Amino acid sequence: MSEYLGQVRAIVWKDLILEFRTRERVAAMGAFAVLAAVLFNYAIDRTAVRPQTIASGLIWMTIVFGGLLGIGRTFHLEHEDGALQGVLMTSAPKDAIFLGKTLANFLLLYLVAIIVVAVFTLFFGLDLGPRLDLLAAVIALGALGFVALGTLFSAVSSGTRMGETLLPILVFPLLLPMVVYGTQATGRILAARPAAEVTANLRMLTAFALVAMATGAGLFRYVVEE
Amino acid sequence: MSLRGLRLTGTTLAAVGLLLMLTVYGLSFFWVPTEVAQGVIQRIFYVHVPAAWVAFMAFGLVALTSAMYLWLRDERLDRAALSAAEGGMVFATVVITTGPLWARVAWGTYWTWEPRLTLTLLLWFVYLGYFLVRGSAENPERGKRFAAVVGIVGALDIPLIHLSVLWFRSLHPKPVVAKPEGPTLPAPMLITLLLGLLAFTLVFLGLFLLRYTLQTLRDAADARDRRATV
Repeated sequence: MSEYLGQVRAIVWKDLILEFRTRERVAAMGAFAVLAAVLFNYAIDRTAVRPQTIASGLIWMTIVFGGLLGIGRTFHLEHEDGALQGVLMTSAPKDAIFLGKTLANFLLLYLVAIIVVAVFTLFFGLDLGPRLDLLAAVIALGALGFVALGTLFSAVSSGTRMGETLLPILVFPLLLPMVVYGTQATGRILAARPAAEVTANLRMLTAFALVAMATGAGLFRYVVEE
Repeated sequence: MSLRGLRLTGTTLAAVGLLLMLTVYGLSFFWVPTEVAQGVIQRIFYVHVPAAWVAFMAFGLVALTSAMYLWLRDERLDRAALSAAEGGMVFATVVITTGPLWARVAWGTYWTWEPRLTLTLLLWFVYLGYFLVRGSAENPERGKRFAAVVGIVGALDIPLIHLSVLWFRSLHPKPVVAKPEGPTLPAPMLITLLLGLLAFTLVFLGLFLLRYTLQTLRDAADARDRRATV
């Protein structure tokens, strides 16, 4: 068990160092988030809609679009210089590799999500209030399921000629649960409703994350086998 | 069963299914009473519901055969998954075209976020992904594996998607939701519906077998080609 965790940790660490040295993905995702928030601001007629009322939906869509930008390149660098073969040939089981990659992506995406929430709070004048812990949990659970599906299908799409163009077609239909429960929970938190109103959403987001992680860990070996 | 036998069975099933489908059309136009609340448009029910049933059944078949393909690596299972996916896509297309036509008259709008409508639309796109992955993979063997993964993940996520669209609707109740089905269906309607289900299932199975036969021949021809060029 501890060996397994060590293998997962090694993958996470490797991916984070890679990202820290190149800073490509987080930079792209972060810039996307800020710019999308700027454009959203001008896409909304402030005399017709209060930005606060639709902020939760915009936050989630920005996380999804921006996140996919970075997650789609999970295997890009390793694919280019053939390092993925090396990783796959180690004694680490394929599910450990998948979980490591997913966790590394999750940490990166969570960083981006923090940027997104901060930017929207600033631009749209949101009041995050005392429920920040709840918001953090909602975004963490939604992001975990999203990242698991994204990492699995990023491995799929990087093995096709269409590449990252294929990713949204594969991932978006499956993301509906995350968008429905995540947006609703975030909307209620931003409206300062009692915490009891989001417990059911948290449960469903947990279920979504668990299903996504389990299927990803189970099926990843069939995607990368050669 | 031999290839010839499969082709014969497929043709027979499809032919019987098509004849039965004509019967169902006849019944639904001339025999079944007109539904009081919705009028004539409700007759689309006898096409829409059987097509939906087949589309979802086909999707289950895709997931099952895909999982077995990844496990056993038998080419026949992959061919079955591909054939089921193509059939399912056809019937899913029938569902999402007849659905809005019915909805326009019954609910007053072409598109509503009715849970089953949304689910079928998403299902259609999962099928689309299935074919795109298959076609654009760098080699055919990889395409088969990728497609199988898409089929399985889609099937596992379907219950969650269904739950979440139901949930979403409960937040935004619509003014009128006509529910044509229910246990109180009059006998002629029920008989026509059941016959419709049978007809569509037979047509699907027939097309499935024919498609499977075609794919087997195609693979054999490809293998011959490769041997000839080597």
